[in-house]
Amino acid sequence: MGTAPIRIITAPSSLGLRPGVDGLEPGTWAAPSALLAAGLASSVGGASRVDLPRLPYSYDSQPATRIRNGLGIRELGLLIAEAVADAVRDEQFPLVVGGDCSILLGCLAGARRAGPCALLHVDGHTDFFHPGNYDSARSLGSAAGMDLALATGRGELLLTHWPVAGSPLVPDEDVFQIGDREAEVDGHGQLPPTIAGLTVQEVLRIGIDAAVEKVSQRIAERGAERSWLHLDLDVLDASVMPAVDSPGAPGLDFQQASSLLAGLLNGAPVIGMDVAIYDPSLDPDGSYAAAIVRSLATALASHAELIA
Amino acid sequence: MKTLLADGPAADHASDIEQFGRLSGLWRTEIAAFPADGSPTRTAEGEWEFGYALEGRAVIDVWQVPARDAIHDGRRAANQEVGLCVRVWDPRLALWRFTFHGTADGALVHMMARQVGDEMVLEGADGGRLVRWVFSELGGHSFAWRAEASTDGGETWRLEQTVDARRRES
Repeated sequence: MGTAPIRIITAPSSLGLRPGVDGLEPGTWAAPSALLAAGLASSVGGASRVDLPRLPYSYDSQPATRIRNGLGIRELGLLIAEAVADAVRDEQFPLVVGGDCSILLGCLAGARRAGPCALLHVDGHTDFFHPGNYDSARSLGSAAGMDLALATGRGELLLTHWPVAGSPLVPDEDVFQIGDREAEVDGHGQLPPTIAGLTVQEVLRIGIDAAVEKVSQRIAERGAERSWLHLDLDVLDASVMPAVDSPGAPGLDFQQASSLLAGLLNGAPVIGMDVAIYDPSLDPDGSYAAAIVRSLATALASHAELIA
Repeated sequence: MKTLLADGPAADHASDIEQFGRLSGLWRTEIAAFPADGSPTRTAEGEWEFGYALEGRAVIDVWQVPARDAIHDGRRAANQEVGLCVRVWDPRLALWRFTFHGTADGALVHMMARQVGDEMVLEGADGGRLVRWVFSELGGHSFAWRAEASTDGGETWRLEQTVDARRRES
């Protein structure tokens, strides 16, 4: 991060999610405005802001793809990529506020324009669905559950091949997944051995400091000079953060999440970060928005103090 | 119908449109199909003509099997293909939107395409399969084309058809 001022990039999207139980578009598209209303910009010291458009949500399949809203995700991804690349070029730290996890693709596509970029994938799920491990003929795929597979080049060309960066956006060996809760329980979303990971159960067993040390060591061993930090808020335990698309347990509490983020921001050469999957429609009084803002502010402030 | 065709690529995206535009002209094709059931390879000869269209924003082609000069009485049989491909460069997606309209059996194929290395790769999700049509070895006088499909998300691909194309002087 260096001393780069933070540029907030809002990406109001639910395109990567299936419709909710009510059959309607999920509410993650409203997260940027809810978090800004909760004081995000002033709390994290956002020096500038770029607001990207909300693209229309399609309930139907689209031509040539079995990914729900694949065309919209591509279009928004290119807009995110442009905004991230601009921020990096302007020596600012892009903080992309989603939105669902499909925004990660645009973040990486933008970060990659200035060179290779490792990925620290903090998420309660591996998000590793691709046509090789689920029946894409049976139902449309949701990119929010595929972002890591797509980022590593698995899946449709529509979302795996990007201008300048090509494919993959990041090789398996430059990824560290942190926080999956399902692989230890039922093997769901199992990652290939080429992708390093720490399940949330492992993180809770060894502690945040040891987890950060393992990640930092791996990134250093890989010789990565730049990395992107992806935060899916469902890595938090459902007891403290139910306002996400797929809440679950076990998970981190807010203090652990802040410590983890601060540790990663200090332990790896992070050039940008995205925050995904908060759903304000599940948070009527805004209390979870306030908690998210406090947690991000703590992590980013801690980092800023250490580098000052 | 003078408004369909164009002389060259639209100026605002000329280098992108040239990715397919460079195929403009008439090509003689030798086609080989490899049935999935292991039955013998089928071969045929045909003709493929490419050109700019829609004020240079699109590249279209007409795919014919057999070629016109191989039809003795000038009447193409109902099951002999003459199809239309339409490729429109979409700058918002940085991709080509592609459709193939077959007249022999009503085939309608949707794909997306972009340049990958030295190849032009068209891809569509077809049920549980990924299908790719790939233009390769693109030269002024010849190119190769292949159709392949994957049922494991792109980990492995089965070759279904190839085309060897040679430019035909008209």
